[in-house]
Amino acid sequence: MSEKYPINLWVNEERYEKLQKAGLAAMCQEMLAGLKCIQVYCNDAQKDKILKVFPTAKFDSATTKSIELLPRQVKDKIFDLVVQKQSIDIMDDFLKNY
Amino acid sequence: MAEIGHGGKEIKERILEPAEAKKRIQGLKQYPIRSQLANEVIDIAYGFFSPLEGFMGKADVESVCKKMRLKDGKTVWSIPIVFDMSKEEIAEYGVKPGASLLLTYTGNPMAIFEIEEVYEYDKKSLAKDVYGTDEAKHPGCARTYAYKDKFVGGKITLVNRPKINEPFTPYFLPPLELRRIFKEKGWKRIVAHQTRNVPHTGHEWLMKGAWFQTYGELPMDKPYVGVLVNAIIGEKRKGDYIDEAIILTQDELRKSGYFGDHNHLTSLTFWDMRYAGPREAVFHAALRTNLGLTHHMFGRDHAGVGTYYGAYDAHRLLESLKGEINIVPVYSENWLYCPHCGEITSESLCNHKKEWQKFSGTLIRSIVQDGVKPPRLIFRPEVFDLVLECAEKYGFGSPFVEEEYLKKRTPVFVMPPLA
Repeated sequence: MSEKYPINLWVNEERYEKLQKAGLAAMCQEMLAGLKCIQVYCNDAQKDKILKVFPTAKFDSATTKSIELLPRQVKDKIFDLVVQKQSIDIMDDFLKNY
Repeated sequence: MAEIGHGGKEIKERILEPAEAKKRIQGLKQYPIRSQLANEVIDIAYGFFSPLEGFMGKADVESVCKKMRLKDGKTVWSIPIVFDMSKEEIAEYGVKPGASLLLTYTGNPMAIFEIEEVYEYDKKSLAKDVYGTDEAKHPGCARTYAYKDKFVGGKITLVNRPKINEPFTPYFLPPLELRRIFKEKGWKRIVAHQTRNVPHTGHEWLMKGAWFQTYGELPMDKPYVGVLVNAIIGEKRKGDYIDEAIILTQDELRKSGYFGDHNHLTSLTFWDMRYAGPREAVFHAALRTNLGLTHHMFGRDHAGVGTYYGAYDAHRLLESLKGEINIVPVYSENWLYCPHCGEITSESLCNHKKEWQKFSGTLIRSIVQDGVKPPRLIFRPEVFDLVLECAEKYGFGSPFVEEEYLKKRTPVFVMPPLA
């Protein structure tokens, strides 16, 4: 099975409100002593593309094995797509534009 | 009493008094230097790099690269400290053995450079020896390849003390000053925490764990052990935390009571990280020996970058040098959050492996960037608030380095006009 790499969408109040309105609040998981988070997953090819298209992004290979430091606006777009599609399986759709 | 530093040599500051400095610089050609070299001039002059008295000659560089020792064959040293110049500059400034230059920084006199040697050194070979790779994408190799084509060796003497700008002023504590403070505090053992980060609770527990390890068999009637947070201040890359946030939040752990005056102190060292992994760990051991420390924390992949070094390569190299370096390595695993325990714990302690939630500085940066305040178990609220305050006060709205910060920030230090 191929590896899957999460992007952590940390849910602040603004994002939580959007989730509640869409009836998606249950999508959140709780991490790190109470932080709300939605994880969307990338495969190898998607991970490589993300790191290439967004040079500030970093794959935390040592500790969390997650893709971090995507610009806030980019994560907002990913988050909005999650809400729109009511699914976390959105990376193909998201990357179409890049 | 003499203060003995790395290599068993007495630490002596190489700084002239103003009247003497004015006489000695008469007629010298002025050569402006970039920030990396200015940082290293300070490190040499104040004894951070003891027993070095100047920039290395070829024999030292070769010995450091091939044997990890200075040319005396005994003193462990792992990273070449070199001064580069172009052929054209060498001709223009009349650089040759026996000549001297007046190095200037931010437009004012900084140090006398007494030239002993001008030489060339194969940069690829240097990179391979020090970084274990010659790939240009390794930041240490990239720095090496960016050096000009000649190197100049010789002694450095400061003619002017740097003006350290706020908020860094109280944290510039050179070796002799630090050693005096340690005596005042009555600390018998001091453990170094190397950092370039704003602390999360994983870092805090690394320090607390190291404090316990260092305390060992000492009695508890008085505080005998301190943690020195020694922040590396040097070249910044976009996306790093701004320097002001790093130094102030590290100290905030003491001010907010997670540590106290009795066991915690923050200082800085000017150094442009080479990301040399195991060799940088050895370099840190030498540097912190000079600061007067007895112990040094080394975590996983200390001072590494990408996947160039194994998690415990630095530990193994340090073990191989036992008896040759005069500081006790304190090794540590990562600290993490265990929801079952409901606390921060160590990989070496907790056995709820399937429930572990690991976090890193990168992850915390990501959380902050998303506009979310992490829980206090993960990131202290005082630290979070201070990060935001630093963003407004020093970071042009961001706690992370951006173009505007690089262009407009107040430099950490400048050279004032000679008094």
